[in-house]
Amino acid sequence: MTASAQPPPPVDEKRASFEREALVHLDTLYRVALRLTGNASDADDLVQETMLKAYRAWDQYEKGTNAKGWLLTILRHAFINEYRRRTRHPETVDLDTIEPFAVFGEIQEEDPQGAFFDRIVDDEVLRAIDALPEAFRETLVLSDVEGMSYQEIGKILEIPVGTVKSRLFRARQLLQGKLYDYAVNMGYIKGTPA
Amino acid sequence: MNCRECVEHLYEFLDREVTPELERDIREHLEECPPCGEQFDFESLFLKFLRARCRAQGAPPELKRRLLRDLFGE
Repeated sequence: MTASAQPPPPVDEKRASFEREALVHLDTLYRVALRLTGNASDADDLVQETMLKAYRAWDQYEKGTNAKGWLLTILRHAFINEYRRRTRHPETVDLDTIEPFAVFGEIQEEDPQGAFFDRIVDDEVLRAIDALPEAFRETLVLSDVEGMSYQEIGKILEIPVGTVKSRLFRARQLLQGKLYDYAVNMGYIKGTPA
Repeated sequence: MNCRECVEHLYEFLDREVTPELERDIREHLEECPPCGEQFDFESLFLKFLRARCRAQGAPPELKRRLLRDLFGE
């Protein structure tokens, strides 16, 4: 092995820290973007725009704090300002009128272990999530897919922790209800006749 | 703690968002109350199922290439 005569190239500190702290969250940003926009092409563009904005504003980000939360806030603002208008119609659903449905009560005799979940494929789950009202969908994705805390979610969505809690409760119950209906329709479980 | 109080904190407990005192009270109740235990197990399973089903998807390699090009001129 020969020693290199050349000194190593100067490290671009901005780029290095951006790669270390921001680019590592690319998968998270993409998954959230996909659930927000509802299609791959808009999700690509939204993530691209988020990362370019983040890189331009990188000096304002306090290194070593919560880059994931910071990036998701940028992504969500970009979505609201530029994508929501054309990708999905503004919500007209009154969230308070949505009745939660206790699936466990329905299946505790037949399938208390929830074995029917195992028969539901990924695409069907994603479809059911996409059918949730936006406010429920974004809360559920940040919590249940990306594993963020109530406080982090509240900060990103600009809502109190109590609202995160109640949205999450209703989102989960609603989603369970949809998956339960699907499982009954597919004959995975007998269910309770309506 | 009774069943209603226990179930009220179900998701907070599973999300690890309860105080140590509340967590202890819930655990005690769950040990003594099989029906609540079953419900907690069911919800816990549901959350694991959800995470497993949704995390398989990552950013496409082409998006990553496009990003590196636009960010750093590669």
